[in-house]
Amino acid sequence: MSRSRFAAGLAALALLLLATPFAGLVLATDWRHFGFAHGDGGAVAVSLGLSLVALLLIVALGTPLAWWLARHRVRGQWLIDALLLLALLTPPLAMGLLLAAMYGPYGPAGSLLERAGLVLTNSAPAFVMAQLYAALPYYVLAARAAFEGVPRELEQIALTLGHSPARCFFRVSLPLAKLGLAAAVALAWVRALGEFGVVLIVAYYPQGIPVKLWTNLQDIGLSAVYPLLWVFFLVALPLPLALGLAVRRRLA
Amino acid sequence: MRIDYRIARPIELSASFEVEGFTVLLGASGEGKSLLLRAIAGLLPAQGEPYGGLPPQRRAVGYLPQGPALFPHLRAWQNVAFALSGPHRRDEAMAWLQRVGLVDLAERWPAQLSGGQQQRVALARALARRPQLLLLDEPTSALDPATRDDVLAELVAEVHAVGIPALAVSHDPALAAMADRLVLMHGRRIVQTGRPLDVHAHPASGAVARLLGLRNVFCGRLTGTAGSQHLIWPEAGVSLLVKTTLADGTAVDWHVAPEAIRLQHGGTVPADTIVAGVELPQRSAYGQYAGLRCGQARLWADLPSCHAAETVRLSLPWSSIRCWPA
Repeated sequence: MSRSRFAAGLAALALLLLATPFAGLVLATDWRHFGFAHGDGGAVAVSLGLSLVALLLIVALGTPLAWWLARHRVRGQWLIDALLLLALLTPPLAMGLLLAAMYGPYGPAGSLLERAGLVLTNSAPAFVMAQLYAALPYYVLAARAAFEGVPRELEQIALTLGHSPARCFFRVSLPLAKLGLAAAVALAWVRALGEFGVVLIVAYYPQGIPVKLWTNLQDIGLSAVYPLLWVFFLVALPLPLALGLAVRRRLA
Repeated sequence: MRIDYRIARPIELSASFEVEGFTVLLGASGEGKSLLLRAIAGLLPAQGEPYGGLPPQRRAVGYLPQGPALFPHLRAWQNVAFALSGPHRRDEAMAWLQRVGLVDLAERWPAQLSGGQQQRVALARALARRPQLLLLDEPTSALDPATRDDVLAELVAEVHAVGIPALAVSHDPALAAMADRLVLMHGRRIVQTGRPLDVHAHPASGAVARLLGLRNVFCGRLTGTAGSQHLIWPEAGVSLLVKTTLADGTAVDWHVAPEAIRLQHGGTVPADTIVAGVELPQRSAYGQYAGLRCGQARLWADLPSCHAAETVRLSLPWSSIRCWPA
């Protein structure tokens, strides 16, 4: 009894710590003069629209990789693991600088792509690229764990029942990994939307919400930050929250 | 159907034998029986016939792994329909479920079915694929003892009814008893094949006798030659009179049926009497056996009236002792 009370007390403390900054937001917001700065609406549109594009790219590129990593053991596996960890480990600012070095106008990849008409500095594609680099490793790691949870035997049975490997993937592996993949998508979404450091370096324009919060702070002050932050929470939270609730409901 | 397969990894194994009707490949754990099934199903790299070199989806086999392995996200009928295509998938799936007597449970999820029911759904799913060969991996392992024989009898009857040859691998002598044909594996080799009746009548070795579930299979050594031959039984520290055609000094596996062991009464004690302690009387639906302690060995005897801790004198008639070179 006392031990479970102790655990409950610790859990309550952790929740309290998590909630503290947001209580601060409620207190600090000037509700009587609640208003938006010029360009806030555009920032919301940029963040939502381009994050959705980034999310689609992350799922399209990350899912096959995650499945492959979950199902194959190759020599030099540690190099792949190291690469994923490195992508997670790199401070966002440093990642932005590295991306600028490669994809910037004077970078080897950037100058080639620019010739093909794809500008990866201060453009919508640059914004999507920054979010992709910020969120892809998180998605791959979470999705790999989801695929690793699918019993191999069921995939093999599906093969012996006469289906091609591709059909087995879509009819067995994917549905059985669904819950974990939903969690991975939610994680990628919040990572992409909230990314500031990488975006700041390679895609200051078009301004998404995180960068706009920064410029509002610089140009106007705190009073212009909080209203946009409220809107940010309002538009960013529903997708991961709904996915998370769906997962919990299926597990219950 | 002739099976001829060679596996190099993870263990080296080659097996060649005939499958007809319901064939049981009997072998101890770790012999690689499951690997052989997986190789035939194309799930493990191997060379052999039939289906050599084909990917698993193009092999006409119905593979039932250990445990039923239904798709948990599909209802019973959807599991069966997984093997089917076309607009009448549902009707066909229902027909297969009807065949295994589960049409009433078609809408259930796998988790809502018993082990035996899941296995029947898995069988219906494997049959719906219209295989030329059924592969069953330890089909008794997921069944509870009370209904096991009934579920197995139904399984075997269904296999006979559809007329598809089936290969079941198992270490369970109870399953072997229902086979049309037995294949025995020991030391990663096929050591005997035949009808169960013939195999039971003439096990080729002590290892086969053990696989068949015979009690009282021991190690020993022969001394003397025909006429005055004795079997030295080191575990019990005794020697028994035997008559074999094997040479002096041969190491043997030997067996004596529990029913053949005789209790000695009265004062005159024959030379090769064994003194044993009753360890545990075993009474079941199949008879009464006494577990006896003879030195280091446990001997089973069909002794209807004996009590724990009692000391008994036994004779093992030479005509009932069977010896195989070890």
